[in-house]
Amino acid sequence: MSDFALPPDLDGRRLAKMSLLDGQGLKELIIAGMTWLKTNQQMVNALNVFPVPDGDTGTNMLLTMQAAYNEIAGSGEKNVGKMAHSIAQGALMGARGNSGVILSQLFRGFARSLDTLDTADAPALVKSLNEAKTTAYKGVVRPVEGTILTVAKDLALAAEAALLQTQDMNIILEKIVAAADISVKHTPELLPILKQAGVVDSGGKGLFILLEGMLRYLNGQPLDTPITTVLPLASMQLENTLENIEPGQDFEVVVDFRPQADLDLENMYNHLLDIGTSIQVGEGDGMYRMHIHVPTAKRYDPIDYIMGLGTVTKVSMENLLAQMDQNSVDHPVKLHFAPVEPGQIAVVAVSPGLGISRIFASLGVAAIIEGGQTMNPSTEEIIHAFENLPTDRVIILPDNKNIIMAAQSACSMTVKKVAVVPSRTVPQGLSAMLRLNPEGDFESVVKEMCSALEDVDTGEITTATRTVEINGVDVRQGEVISILNGKVVLASNSLEDACLGLLKNAKTESHERITLFYGSNVSKNEVNQIIDKIRSNYPSHEIELHEGGQPHYQFIIAIE
Amino acid sequence: MSEESNLLGNIYISHRAIATIASQSALQSYGVVGLAAKNLAEGLAQVLVKDPSRGIDVRYDPAGIQIDLYIVVEYGTRIKSVASSVAENVRYYVEKAISLPVNQVNVHVRGLRISNPD
Repeated sequence: MSDFALPPDLDGRRLAKMSLLDGQGLKELIIAGMTWLKTNQQMVNALNVFPVPDGDTGTNMLLTMQAAYNEIAGSGEKNVGKMAHSIAQGALMGARGNSGVILSQLFRGFARSLDTLDTADAPALVKSLNEAKTTAYKGVVRPVEGTILTVAKDLALAAEAALLQTQDMNIILEKIVAAADISVKHTPELLPILKQAGVVDSGGKGLFILLEGMLRYLNGQPLDTPITTVLPLASMQLENTLENIEPGQDFEVVVDFRPQADLDLENMYNHLLDIGTSIQVGEGDGMYRMHIHVPTAKRYDPIDYIMGLGTVTKVSMENLLAQMDQNSVDHPVKLHFAPVEPGQIAVVAVSPGLGISRIFASLGVAAIIEGGQTMNPSTEEIIHAFENLPTDRVIILPDNKNIIMAAQSACSMTVKKVAVVPSRTVPQGLSAMLRLNPEGDFESVVKEMCSALEDVDTGEITTATRTVEINGVDVRQGEVISILNGKVVLASNSLEDACLGLLKNAKTESHERITLFYGSNVSKNEVNQIIDKIRSNYPSHEIELHEGGQPHYQFIIAIE
Repeated sequence: MSEESNLLGNIYISHRAIATIASQSALQSYGVVGLAAKNLAEGLAQVLVKDPSRGIDVRYDPAGIQIDLYIVVEYGTRIKSVASSVAENVRYYVEKAISLPVNQVNVHVRGLRISNPD
């Protein structure tokens, strides 16, 4: 990403005094708009629900602007028309996403209208904004209103109206920005999907920010600190923030409060930034809502702080890691399974976590059944997984000893030829998968895969849910236990001891590879510390680490 | 015919129905200024009866739905971006409407329309 900060010797207030815009002036305005967009990029991204809610509008518009900027970065062009054409050209070449393409069309129309003018006065600029809008509308058969197009149209109208009153370009720009603001706020009335989501249109907001950046530049206001936004309560994106969880920010705290009259927002933001991330503040009916992600140790800090700012009316706190688990169960990410040709052998595997499912998919399984230790899939679920596969030769990997039975009864309830390779653990299932030959003779493939089960030792690390004595090991509730090939070998106080103790118990000398799949209940930080320790203890082994995503088990370990 | 079952029986969704959804979302996608017939014979037939599936081809196999779009793009836009946006739009709206996975959207740019030469 190129650095496009405005050169320090330039000052928008100088530009503001001029009554004609030349090529260099236009360039400064473009840089100012882009800088402001960059500063507020994430806010624009967060609004993105239309046409496809993929949260990239701000980024796409910024990348398009940067392509435009790259075209003019070193240019000393004085002619405003030629400068506009270069900007349009750059935006066209780098247009990204829907909003980027529309933005590039706006620039194209704008440039065409300026043609080869040396300098532009107010009427010429207003005419160009109008042409920008017209050009943009030509690019789609059925324009959807309530989008960036609507905002472009409204601001062009406002520009024309303003021109009737004044020739001062600054005043006209002020009116344009104000009109764009109103237009953006009105978008939910035109596009129901925005209203449902409680947001304004992201592309329209992006266009507004570009123009506002220009105005701020002319007024000498800073462009590098994001707007301390107080959103309307309805548009706080609380559920979307899950994707932005940073390591260590494990708790989400939402505090509703009635502030004292002298609430200093700027100050409050700065203080909150010291405590956590993903800060949002919303307002409605004299009430404020503050949202923040904080590390576990600081989970009460925001509440204590807000207490000093007003009357706290409600506090809610959620464990984000637990929420993420639930999310991955509710919205399974699409996996790319191996395509199955009729007659081939297809494998369906039971997987306890998304990461493990991905690995199974990459090894060529045709379908995944979600399940594991505490969520055994039913026979029906297993049948359902392979029934629609276009082949009648199927192998099931239960990957858990409690699921083998259900898998076997699935075999007898279908007309397809189905066999169970009785993998008792995930590493056994993966090991068997490596021996799959989809074209092979069914019986011998099954036999081959079964023989692979003993190639690997499985370690599992989990937390004891009760106090008990198993296999001569005293286990107290809450201790971390190490399970090797299904037998508890060790109970310890720390994850690290549990992992190292387990590896010591496994006959690692005769093995050469250790693969760890870490679960959803362990932080990346801890994982890294442990893996470093293992690497230094076992320098001659190949150590691999994968995100397994399984619940309950901090680690599943394959020792081969 | 795409198929899904519920407790009472099966739900069938015709290719034509899917094509209509695809057509609507394609035409709302920025930069797409028209859908083009795949060939002349089809073009003639579709001019006679106003066909909502003009320029859209839907196929179904167990892996999911495959859609081919034959589009006309506005001259002066970045074709690659327009094409990927329309593919994304169509996939999103078809999946949203029928809850079945679309595993492929192929975009064929059949021509450009010049409304503003510059």
